[in-house]
Amino acid sequence: MIKVTINGREVQLDKQVTILEAARRAGIKIPTLCHFEGLEMYGGCRLCLVEVEKMPRLQTSCTLMVTDGMVITTESEQIAAARRGMLEFILTNHPLDCPFCDKAGECELQDLVYLYGGTEGRFTEPKAKHPESNVDPILARNIERCISCTRCVRMCDGVVGASAISMINRGRHTVMEPFSGGKFDCEYCGNCLTVCPVGSILSRLYKETYRPWQVERTVRTVCGHCGVGCSYDLQVRDEAIKRVIPRIGEGLNRGLLCARGRFGYEFVGAKDRLKKPLVRRDGNLVETTWDEALGFIAAKLSEVIKTHGGEAVAGIASVRCTNEDNYVFQKFMRGVVGTNNIDSAARMGFSGAQAYLESLRGQGVSANVIAGLAKSDVIFVAGGDPTMVTPILGLEIRGAAKKGAKIISLDPAPGLEFFNPHKIVPSLFAEGAVLESLLCRAVSARGMTGELPHLEEAIRAAVSAECAGVAAQSGVPDAEIEKASATISGSQSPAFVIGPDIVQRADGNRNLFLLAALSYVTGGRIFLLSGKANEQGAVDMGCLPDTLPGGRPLAIDGFRKRHEDACGMSVPAREGLSLMEMFPAMADGRIKALYVIGENPAFNLPGGNSIKSALEKLDLLVVQDIFLTETAKMADIVLPALSWAEKDGTFTNLERRIQRVRRGVNREGREDWRILCDLAGRMGAAMEYASSEAVMSEIARVSPVHRDLHYSDIEAGAMQWPYHGEPLRGEASTVSLVTASARPTVGSGRFALLVDRPLFQSGTLTRRSKALLKLIPKATVKMNPLDAASLGISGGIVRVSSDAGSVELEAVIDSSVQMGAVKISNHFEGAGVFGLMTKPPVDPVTKAPAFEGCLVAVEPLKGDAKS
Amino acid sequence: MKSQIADELECVKAKYPAERAALLPALYLAQRKYGWLSAEAMDEVSRELRVPKATVRGVATFYAMYRHKQVGRNVIQLCTNVSCMILGAERLVDIIREKYGVEPGGTSADGRFSLVIMECIGACGTAPAMLVNTDFHESLTQENIVTILEGYR
Ligand code: SF4
Ligand code: SF4
Ligand code: SF4
Ligand code: FES
Ligand code: FES
Repeated sequence: MIKVTINGREVQLDKQVTILEAARRAGIKIPTLCHFEGLEMYGGCRLCLVEVEKMPRLQTSCTLMVTDGMVITTESEQIAAARRGMLEFILTNHPLDCPFCDKAGECELQDLVYLYGGTEGRFTEPKAKHPESNVDPILARNIERCISCTRCVRMCDGVVGASAISMINRGRHTVMEPFSGGKFDCEYCGNCLTVCPVGSILSRLYKETYRPWQVERTVRTVCGHCGVGCSYDLQVRDEAIKRVIPRIGEGLNRGLLCARGRFGYEFVGAKDRLKKPLVRRDGNLVETTWDEALGFIAAKLSEVIKTHGGEAVAGIASVRCTNEDNYVFQKFMRGVVGTNNIDSAARMGFSGAQAYLESLRGQGVSANVIAGLAKSDVIFVAGGDPTMVTPILGLEIRGAAKKGAKIISLDPAPGLEFFNPHKIVPSLFAEGAVLESLLCRAVSARGMTGELPHLEEAIRAAVSAECAGVAAQSGVPDAEIEKASATISGSQSPAFVIGPDIVQRADGNRNLFLLAALSYVTGGRIFLLSGKANEQGAVDMGCLPDTLPGGRPLAIDGFRKRHEDACGMSVPAREGLSLMEMFPAMADGRIKALYVIGENPAFNLPGGNSIKSALEKLDLLVVQDIFLTETAKMADIVLPALSWAEKDGTFTNLERRIQRVRRGVNREGREDWRILCDLAGRMGAAMEYASSEAVMSEIARVSPVHRDLHYSDIEAGAMQWPYHGEPLRGEASTVSLVTASARPTVGSGRFALLVDRPLFQSGTLTRRSKALLKLIPKATVKMNPLDAASLGISGGIVRVSSDAGSVELEAVIDSSVQMGAVKISNHFEGAGVFGLMTKPPVDPVTKAPAFEGCLVAVEPLKGDAKS
Repeated sequence: MKSQIADELECVKAKYPAERAALLPALYLAQRKYGWLSAEAMDEVSRELRVPKATVRGVATFYAMYRHKQVGRNVIQLCTNVSCMILGAERLVDIIREKYGVEPGGTSADGRFSLVIMECIGACGTAPAMLVNTDFHESLTQENIVTILEGYR
């Protein structure tokens, strides 16, 4: 116990902290400028000076640690004079242009000068001039206001790990600059903007459009982009989002955000948002009333059910909608329509992968807290760059690496490049061989515990007696694998981070099996990346063809009966079709009607024209969305829904944490669940809820996992898996494991087409966010420098053609793309990667589409490509 | 694609416990190779040492001995601090300016010389003094400075 006296008051401390922190705990505020919680210590501004008895001169309280018996004074004439002096010194180069500075009103310098003075400077030298830099599309930089506190640099370098900016030059010439001196060309997380105490780093999204005190409403909610689920505040004025700001230290993101979360909100106010229901008349979609639209759907849907049965209808739920929306949707499909043909885009990798991993290792195996990554000493990353797919989770990995954790990355993860990763890059699609070899070594190094006998049996069947040479076909030398294996074996708490790329394979299940086995044998935790805000929620709400809310298999009569009793509606006993199985069924007429909420299969699913022509065959296509998407354009009826910023509800993140989504913007329109309830009423079924909270109350009754979980609990913090619920225990008694047949070979001008998942774009929403669009304005094809050189491509427009069609795109040379592959993202209209894929094979176990089968040719277009 | 300074850098790196620690000598190598630290040169150092390029630039701009502008084939670093000034260094500046057409801080039109004014290069006892590239010249006079500089093409 350390005792110190601060301003005559005795303060007891259980461990050594800085004087600043000791004072804070005693409720005494010491002014600071360069100090910022969570950043490395600095001690540069000298605002936090205090008197310490027996020490000469004033001391910086943000760097000096307390010792037992210290006597400290935080306010005195001498201290105030010193602070005033420091401020005077800071102001010698400061323009004092508060009248038109965005930061005025929430500027730390302004507040301190107001408190201590310092504006009447004694320096007569002219102030340094630096015109404001507005060359960057997102961030403006006003260096005249910069006080060289280095908070931004310590944030970017020490916390974010992007290291995009630095203090350049020396002494009074020191300024903050990005490498280029102009544009930031960085990860655009804006976390430097969060910590800048003055108006030096500004967001161009709202610069000079309002004052902080003119915000009408600040609403705490959760990001609607990826499965991490960062908390932040929406600030609203005139029913438009003015800005997104995090709360320092709060939420699982602790106040950090990524580019999509911070700057990707403009779609909410986009001009092309749907406003009125649309109905198809004489081939065209025309505006109609809610009453007419819902009446039409009710009649048409009832007709289909009557003539062809409920199983002739299928529904696609939304990984962007709330739990409440998705719960009501599956209830509508099962109870009112009478079908289990329900799935969502989580099927593209996440849901099938999770279900399979759970069948091997138990329900909840991937429900691990992201912050726990910091405690891992080895992090094995496979199947995608976490710093791009789930950026804040990526930062956690970087943070662990900084603290000494070893990173092993199977396949390139460019965002981890500066974190000393052990990179294992097998030949295209040969990760399985590396994993098998690692598993083999892990089993011989560690043995098995006998805990999960079925899994162990399958492991024994899968590994060879002799580990050497197993990975021969992967092109990775044994020594390399041995090194990684030794790292993993030596680990106390390994983490396995699994991304979509390794799942979206014809034998994705085998990769997953090997990863599950490896993590089992080594006692590791699994993190399954999720690129959309509520993939986990769609799964847990039962938007699956074979599973009821709460993860109960519907094929088991007991579970189904209990569920029927709890929700008061019957559920068909037969399992439904999974996402990729729905389209062939539409094509051959087994499915006559499709109901889609918040999803865009015509664009977001691989299969190019086969998806569209399947949709064309439908008797009825209903789409609820916020934009007229490619799918909505084909629909018979389009209903305008609300975006995540305009409704209340909950999201479940990839850790399975349930968090509240709150309405920030008021907009006319209806939540997806409300539309469905209205429709159910018109079809003769009573589904009525007063609010999203009432929907959650029903979920809390119906789903064994969400038992007794109410908004009050979620707000109070009881929101981490397994809540108060009961996960299913035990493992499957049989292990399904299917190995893919031969893969297509690349070469002789044919490249494997891979999915690019850039940081700044993630689809329908981001492509309508102006700021993000400026960062990646158009679709590109990325290729390896050597491949590009062999085709004489060094940029410019190229044509990429597959069996499904061709697109013309700008070529980007990128050494993180593997030889033999090209990468295209799926964001831009008419140039999505999925449009180039012919009907992809589906992994028989996870039912996820497999992307390795698509080969493309790339040719430079004359005149554009430089040779 | 192997970088131009990679080989030499390997030897330098070997002398330090961590790649990052070799940053100053690496920058020096890059400067020797390219004459100055262009964005490309710093980028190359960044890649070779796996130190982020903004960090590299922060360090490179902190030290006065790194150059951030294109310089001539030969760099004259002439001292004009107290001792050198008393012994006529200012006149030497004029001579260089007149004879080769190079202003302090500038480069001659033919790219032959750049002139950098230094603050005491520690040769006060034999002032005035200058460095031309890495060669040290002391006890300069209005006559011998031209002879010396004529040796650099
Ligand atoms: S936006 Fe993020 S990556 Fe860019 S400079 Fe700021 S902190 Fe660094
Ligand atoms: S830009 Fe802001 S945070 Fe960065 S050094 Fe200047 S004042 Fe500090
Ligand atoms: S990491 Fe994901 S949840 Fe967090 S701000 Fe970024 S997109 Fe939003
Ligand atoms: S806050 Fe302590 S020196 Fe800046
Ligand atoms: S003053 Fe010129 S060397 Fe010291």
